[in-house]
Amino acid sequence: MEESTSLVCNLGILEKLNDNSIQEIIKSYGGFCTTTESLLNGAGDLSVGPEFVLHVHSLCKHGLQSLVCDHFLLSLEQAFEKIGVTNFWRHFDSYSKVGVLQKNNSSIYDDEVQLVLCKALEEMALEKQYQEKCLFMLVHALQLHKESMFEGKQNADSERAHLFAKYQLMVSSVLMASLPLHFPDILHRYFKGKLEELSRIMDGDLEGKNEFQDKDSMDLDEKGKHRTGEMDIDESYNHGKFSEKNKLVKHIGKVVRDLRSLGFTSMTENAYASAIFSLLKAKVHNLAGEDYRNSVLESIKGWIKVVPLQFLNALLAYLGDSIGYDTPSSGLKSPLASHLSSCSSEIDTPSEGLIRWQLRLEYFAYETLQDLRIAKLFEIIVDYPESSPAIEDLKQCLEYTGQHSKLVESFISALKYRLLTAGASTNDILHQYVSTIKALRTIDPTGVFLEAVGEPIRDYLRGRKDTIKCIVTMLTDGTGGNPNGSANTGDSLLEELNRDEENQEIAGIDDDFNSDDKQAWINAACWEPDPVEADPLKGSRNRRKVDILGMIVSIIGSKDQLVNEYRVMLAEKLLNKSDYDIDSEIRTLELLKIHFGESSMQKCEIMLNDLIDSKRTNTNIKLTAAKQSQTGAELGEDAVSLDILDATIISSNFWPPMQIWHLWHVLEAQGASRHHSMWFPEFQDEALIVPEPVDKLFSDYAKRFNEIKTPRKLLWKKNLGTVKLELQFDDRTTLYTVAPLHAAIIMQFQEQKSWTSKNLAAAVGVPEDVLNRRINFWISKGILSESVGTDSNDHIYTLVEGMVDSSKNGGNSGSCEELLVGDDEGESTVASVEDQIRNEMTVYEKFILGMLTNFGSMALDRIHNTLKMFCVADPPYDKSLQQLQSFLSGLVSEEKLELRDGMYFLKK
Amino acid sequence: MILFRWHAVASWTWDAQDETCGICRMAFDGCCPDCKLPGDDCPLIWGACNHAFHLHCILKWVNSQTPQAHCPMCRREWQFKG
Ligand SMILES: [Zn+2]
Ligand SMILES: [Zn+2]
Ligand SMILES: [Zn+2]
Repeated sequence: MEESTSLVCNLGILEKLNDNSIQEIIKSYGGFCTTTESLLNGAGDLSVGPEFVLHVHSLCKHGLQSLVCDHFLLSLEQAFEKIGVTNFWRHFDSYSKVGVLQKNNSSIYDDEVQLVLCKALEEMALEKQYQEKCLFMLVHALQLHKESMFEGKQNADSERAHLFAKYQLMVSSVLMASLPLHFPDILHRYFKGKLEELSRIMDGDLEGKNEFQDKDSMDLDEKGKHRTGEMDIDESYNHGKFSEKNKLVKHIGKVVRDLRSLGFTSMTENAYASAIFSLLKAKVHNLAGEDYRNSVLESIKGWIKVVPLQFLNALLAYLGDSIGYDTPSSGLKSPLASHLSSCSSEIDTPSEGLIRWQLRLEYFAYETLQDLRIAKLFEIIVDYPESSPAIEDLKQCLEYTGQHSKLVESFISALKYRLLTAGASTNDILHQYVSTIKALRTIDPTGVFLEAVGEPIRDYLRGRKDTIKCIVTMLTDGTGGNPNGSANTGDSLLEELNRDEENQEIAGIDDDFNSDDKQAWINAACWEPDPVEADPLKGSRNRRKVDILGMIVSIIGSKDQLVNEYRVMLAEKLLNKSDYDIDSEIRTLELLKIHFGESSMQKCEIMLNDLIDSKRTNTNIKLTAAKQSQTGAELGEDAVSLDILDATIISSNFWPPMQIWHLWHVLEAQGASRHHSMWFPEFQDEALIVPEPVDKLFSDYAKRFNEIKTPRKLLWKKNLGTVKLELQFDDRTTLYTVAPLHAAIIMQFQEQKSWTSKNLAAAVGVPEDVLNRRINFWISKGILSESVGTDSNDHIYTLVEGMVDSSKNGGNSGSCEELLVGDDEGESTVASVEDQIRNEMTVYEKFILGMLTNFGSMALDRIHNTLKMFCVADPPYDKSLQQLQSFLSGLVSEEKLELRDGMYFLKK
Repeated sequence: MILFRWHAVASWTWDAQDETCGICRMAFDGCCPDCKLPGDDCPLIWGACNHAFHLHCILKWVNSQTPQAHCPMCRREWQFKG
């Protein structure tokens, strides 16, 4: 077959042939085939070389050079397939089962893979080396022929290059054609194992290096020589490690070169690249861990420089020029010797390829760390500010990758899953919200992403009833607020925000210090907020500051609501004071004024001023009383000194409406509709009947007030305030601080040891059900006991004589103090804003019901608009749509109304 | 039983017949539009006709009505109650 094709190609020559020539050709061809066979097959007999050269020469003489080459290459291919390839792949047979490589992760297994690969490559190299020697023989013979014909060297190099290229191509294609599927995995395993080994050497090396530098840090001369450039690690190397590392790299380099010479160039590159990336990933995971209190980005970058880049640098240097295939033997000369010495200088000016590698690896590391941190962002923010190093890392990563949207998505879903659930307290949610703002404003100074992340939290909080109250507490209360006990306990959030702002202002002044004042003024005057689409990566000096308070207020909707809630809470706090100490409230008011404006806080200021005035007036009244008793006006035996009575005198127009449980109950019992005017504070006080001696004090006090402040008069709100009293028993005394009603109740038992609930209620002036509820305080303390009277509806309360104290403090025989702040049953003194609105709304109830009787059904906004139109006086309708809606849903739940398809109906 | 201390709460009032000042229409127990604090700082004053106003309100009124001012409520000659 081969002969015929060759002959066809050489038809011209054929014509010139005579018998002799034919004989010679046949003889030489036979010899050529036989010697080729001996050279290439079996053990390989190089001794037939001279004979082979002769036959080639003779065939070439007859112009059969291409026949010779083709036949020889074909024989090489057959021999390579038969011996080389089969033997080579046989080494890896035991790993062919799917999954074997993945399952066995032990390093022992890695070692085995390494050994097998090296052995296979070594054998293959020998085989190839031999075949190349044979190919050289052919080249040599062809060259001899040419020299004899043309006297002198003729273009022999191209001939040789051509043949070797063909051979190389044959080797690669034969191997590729028979490549087992799992071979790339084996390569990956090999590089992974070797890189891990290298990493171990380098890690040990780093530690060694640090010790070394520590020891020598005193030696300034030596230190001065240390370069601070990015890639000078080699220079301060300790040489033992250096040679160890070098040996390893040399070994890997040899394997890479061998693989390349077999045509596995890109497969090899992929294998070590994927090994480097998986090692880098493992390293990032390992370094990053669950500790958010340290930055890890620098150590990751350092590791990239020390391990993978050193490796790649050494490898690229080692492989050097030998990448080309035209001079296969020159590879054996090893460029290592020269590269060893030039190693560090090459590192100083890293090749473009190496820089590309560095960028790829750093990007990968940033992305990996970023993903890790984003996945744990919720925990990181819980730890904030201790976790700020992790936040700083994440910021840098995101600046590099620009994948902020990943953060937004992931964090929102974590929030929904972890935080915005029924189990989380409103306080916890608020604190996480604030921490989120604080943490993310580092990453996102313009607040663009913060806006997106905050929205679900704000939405969720708007659905909770206690949100406003918790917000106000968090802002203004330095003690109760933070459950995590942050570093600044005793500091309200408002205080903290204020301090931050002052710091920023100081920093701002520093910034501007050197700049031209006039220019600074112009800049300030032209300042405009950044547009919404502002590029968050852009670091402008005038960039928008994230306004924490603004983001908190935006949960509620308006600052007025917040201020109103604060006023209610302030009123409650002030009215439960047993002294006039308001220093912390004054401080808080000052802060609120800074943030919400003085006019918004006007009423609160008057409330505080009332306390200050009350203190002064109280002192004056006591002074007039003292003077009078000195001038001889005798007090009765049972009279109580005015000294024990203090009063907080309020400007009631400026205080929120007070809760008036007793009057409300009375009026309701009489079937009265709740009218707006009853919420004026004047109506809410007198019902409580205080004991006679106390009532005398009240009148005396009021009289003296009127004398000092003519024509102003006092109106007592007897149910408000606090009473300190001491109960004395045979074996002990106990001090209680209680509400006036509790004091009024227990004082009734001084004269009479047992009361029916009906009589007692009348004696203290409250409805029976209120009494029965509130008297539980004394029953729970073991002071009173309860029994059923003759009429089963009537309870009998009896003072427990010489009783055993059932309260927790019973063990103390001395006096102990029971402190009761506010009310025991959670009834607050001051109506909450919500109650206030609901009660103001009741005025319109009749009107709404009347409208629905006439119109049948109405939608929410129609009811709203009608109320606005008709209720213009006494009291004018000034409620929001939301307030109306919540009132209407109250009527629905009371089964007065029905809501179907957005329309309200009368419940039939 | 010993009562140590009763810290009570009261509100004050000017005890005028009307609730609001006839000049500024603000509550007597509040203060006039020019004042920030009620009470001593913004007192009431009664005229001979027994009509009461915020002191600051009636002073402004009287100054604007020359030569003779009249009570804004009853149009009688305005005189401060002695
Ligand atoms: Zn007025
Ligand atoms: Zn005034
Ligand atoms: Zn008058």
